Amino acid sequence: MGATKTDANGGHGPTRRDIIRTIGAAGLGAATAAPLTRRAFAQAKPPMNLSLWTFENPQQRPWLHKRIRMFMEQNPNVKVDFQWFTFGDLGKKISVGFATGTAPEGFVSQDWFMPTWLDKALLAPLDVQRLGYSSVNAFTDDFASAFVKGAVHDGKAYGFPMWFYGFCNYINTNHFKEVGLDPEKDWPKTWDQFGEVAKRLTIKDGSRFKRQGFKFAMHAAQWTMIQFNPILITHGGQWFDASGKCAINNEAGVKAMTARASLARQYGAEDPADSIATNPLPQMDWLKERCSMFWCHPIPPAAITSQNPKMQSDHYYRPVQYCGVETGKGISTSYGFNLVINAQAPKDKQEVLHDLYKFIMSDLVDCWKETAPLTLARKSGWTDHSTVKDFPYVNEVLRAKDEGVFLPRTVVYNELADATHRGVQKIMLNNADIKATLDEIAAEVDRASTAYKKG
Amino acid sequence: MTRTSTIGGPPLSSVAAARTARPFWRLHYSRRIQLVGVAFVLPTILFFVVFKYGPMVWAVELSFTSYDMVSTPRWTALENYRSLAVDPVFRESLWVTAVYIAGSTILITLVGLGLALAVNTAVPGARYCMGAMFLTNLMPVIAVCLVWRFLLHPYGLVNQLLAPLGVGRVDWLTDSRTAMPAIIVVTVWRFAPYFMMVFLAGLLAIPKDYYEAAHMDGAHALHRFRHITLPLLMPIIFFVIVVSALLSARIFLMPYIITGGGPGNATRVLSMLIYETGFSYMKMGRAAAISVVLFAIMMVFTFLQMRIFMKREQF
Amino acid sequence: MQLSRKIRFRPPRLRLVSRHWLGLALLLALTLAFIFPILWMLSTSFQAGEKMFQLTTEWIPSEWHPENYPNALSRAAFAQYFLNSGIVSVAVMVGNIVFGTLAGYGLAKFRFPGDRFVLLAILSTLMLPLEVTLVPTFLVVHHFGWLNTYQGIIGPLLIDAFGIFLMRQSILSIPSDYIEAARMDGAGELRILWQIIVPQCLPALAVLAIFSFRDSWDQFLWPLTIVSVDRMRTYPLGLVQFGEDYGNPPTEQMAIAVLATIPVFLLFWLLQRGVNRGFGLSGLK
Repeated sequence: MGATKTDANGGHGPTRRDIIRTIGAAGLGAATAAPLTRRAFAQAKPPMNLSLWTFENPQQRPWLHKRIRMFMEQNPNVKVDFQWFTFGDLGKKISVGFATGTAPEGFVSQDWFMPTWLDKALLAPLDVQRLGYSSVNAFTDDFASAFVKGAVHDGKAYGFPMWFYGFCNYINTNHFKEVGLDPEKDWPKTWDQFGEVAKRLTIKDGSRFKRQGFKFAMHAAQWTMIQFNPILITHGGQWFDASGKCAINNEAGVKAMTARASLARQYGAEDPADSIATNPLPQMDWLKERCSMFWCHPIPPAAITSQNPKMQSDHYYRPVQYCGVETGKGISTSYGFNLVINAQAPKDKQEVLHDLYKFIMSDLVDCWKETAPLTLARKSGWTDHSTVKDFPYVNEVLRAKDEGVFLPRTVVYNELADATHRGVQKIMLNNADIKATLDEIAAEVDRASTAYKKG
Repeated sequence: MTRTSTIGGPPLSSVAAARTARPFWRLHYSRRIQLVGVAFVLPTILFFVVFKYGPMVWAVELSFTSYDMVSTPRWTALENYRSLAVDPVFRESLWVTAVYIAGSTILITLVGLGLALAVNTAVPGARYCMGAMFLTNLMPVIAVCLVWRFLLHPYGLVNQLLAPLGVGRVDWLTDSRTAMPAIIVVTVWRFAPYFMMVFLAGLLAIPKDYYEAAHMDGAHALHRFRHITLPLLMPIIFFVIVVSALLSARIFLMPYIITGGGPGNATRVLSMLIYETGFSYMKMGRAAAISVVLFAIMMVFTFLQMRIFMKREQF
Repeated sequence: MQLSRKIRFRPPRLRLVSRHWLGLALLLALTLAFIFPILWMLSTSFQAGEKMFQLTTEWIPSEWHPENYPNALSRAAFAQYFLNSGIVSVAVMVGNIVFGTLAGYGLAKFRFPGDRFVLLAILSTLMLPLEVTLVPTFLVVHHFGWLNTYQGIIGPLLIDAFGIFLMRQSILSIPSDYIEAARMDGAGELRILWQIIVPQCLPALAVLAIFSFRDSWDQFLWPLTIVSVDRMRTYPLGLVQFGEDYGNPPTEQMAIAVLATIPVFLLFWLLQRGVNRGFGLSGLK
């Protein structure tokens, strides 16, 4: 009974038997109200109800909603039930949905969950021609290879990459000038520079920080992963070694974590305990000018205006690249979101979803107008437009996206993220020993991997 | 107590007659009363079977399987339990939960009793103070979590109030030594006033003559407390201990929203671990095993308490 | 009814007046210590957004921002959320009262084979946290077709063991003679329940009403699981989501929190005398 997850490839993917068995089992296991399958009709237009779920974001979600409304106007027989959930909850709601046969027909998948959905065969392969591409190769060519790596499997595309962005180092140019630094030239490019610059920007009042040179966001596991990922990679570390064992605690990993901790421990430029869990926005401290530098996804001007209108109107900020181990080799994390289709959705609904996705992605300049500077994954159709080119510092944001490194693709991503997050908390908040904590993290992740392989 | 039958019917007192099927109104009285009792309880039992026992049994069954919510469950016998026993995160959570339950229960009992004693003085306006304190128990728990998160900030109100006392900055929610005590404080804050009311009822039920007699014999306040109040309050104290322990074992929202289980695992109580294991890691079988463990602990604890408690008074 | 007459305990008058004031001071200090977070929440809800992060407390706002309230309400469908919470909580309150009384009466005044076992079984339901029965409960509710419906949210919350114990405890103290006498007079069982039992446990019913309403009003995890459409959300879901959106001042979040607090406080105020008596506190000055 039940599908086992190991196969000839050593657990790197389900065999066809597994997929078929899992699909069958999932179908049997689903609750009574499973939708009936209808034959696909290319020409006939019967009334159709679709459900599409995504995460809430003040810029992106309304634009998506607008496109869906436009699609419904053009296709009056289609009704899309559009629902959104908090960023952290979306994955859980979809998991519960799959568990009970109530998952939406289409949804926006955070790309780091793709391995999980794919391993359990929950996503339907996409008909790239229906999306407007002549072949799968044409499809993959339209995106940076790293993006489609998460979406393409066995020569089939399972996700339509939508928004992908990289983190940048957002600096407050006024603060730089205050301490005699040139924001155009003196922004830190290596780790040592980073610590020094942050220290210089810090203002303390006795033991209390009035201004921190730099702040790491520490409120959520996902942010911990995004921020630590490039530090690990540029120091030569890796999340997993070739055999699948967690390698965060090797020498390179210790160096990386030491670098991360150095801001508070060595340079005294950060107060990790401040503002944890009380900020509704991770970048609130930076917006309120309580810190001078902050690593963040591209920040929409509206967000800045809502908290600090002067910063936006006088424009005394700019994004720069991450620092690296060597000058000019700084990279950040690139992550994003794919439009995907539930494998259990009936064929006709899947087809209409293709049309919907194609329509959503057909006017990316309009998307940029409303969601800038959150960048899109696709290469074609928008970067040459003047609206895009005229956006301040858009090159930095594009570069971060294109050159960024990916979050580890693993089926135990949640366990990895949680373990790393807790470990970082122990290190930064309780002064725990770095090597010992990294060992704990690696052990926990290995246990999770073993348990997953057992099925 | 037997009832004579209606006119024309067979006498009910005969054994043979009692055994044959008969309409309800002709049944033996005590049997009828029994059935009425069952009828009153039956809807509730049915409800619990559908919404509590059914899922509970299912959960126990799940604990012997590996279930990722998408494929069918796979039987693994005691594998979940075995892997939990050697898992340091589970053991840490077990310890954290034990500390949390013990700390909350003891403090709730002490603070509740203390508040009740304070309110029970003949001070005018005591009733209003009692009502005001009781409000903390009524405040929506989400609001409680959000408010306290701000209050316990390193530069927040609590530290501001403590500063004149010479207490420096305390990172309540981010220092692993103070995170759990902080959650316990919030828990006590929320629940002690409720138990204050319970204790107060008990205090008021103690006849004043006892105190007057002791006073005339020359016993002072502390003596009176130890020898009159405390013994008579024992049943209530046991009740409070049991109920507050059961309440704190189930608590999920407060650590979840205030600290998210952190820093590290310092406030990761078992109910949070269950939720994460089941819904983040999609390991429902393992999550079920953890909750069976939690359930077993609470059952044992309650049994012990009930045995002591039941000896003293009809439960 | 004789039993509804208040029993007053009068503690002996204290001779020293200064003890009064000392006791009052202590009591006021304790009360303040307990309610200051509520006062802070109220005060902050009228502050401008930046005040939250200046981290110096201004108890009386120098500038009042009552527009926080309508602003906050307009950012999401809070009117709908509060309505949903209200419907669910009232239904759960009624369910608990009705079934708690029925079952409490059955367990208090009737002896039948297995009644001790039933009592224990009901107690055991208090010990299993919702987190693990979440998926099986969800499946059961889904089986009835109640996803994203009011009855789906209400379903598992409708009867709670706490209410049964409370009513049983209260009914136990009613002398059985009344019941026997009524039976002898030929009264039906339901009539006995309605006319004899219920009037005598009104205080316990008041306690049950306020607590079952509050517990249901507080619910977060269950609605989070069962609801996947915006129009069926309850206010806790809205409140948490509110805090995670860009540009929503935390002071507005406090405003919503204050609004959420009002119904429970209001209900308590209405039932206060009953609640006090339900706890057995009618003798308090």
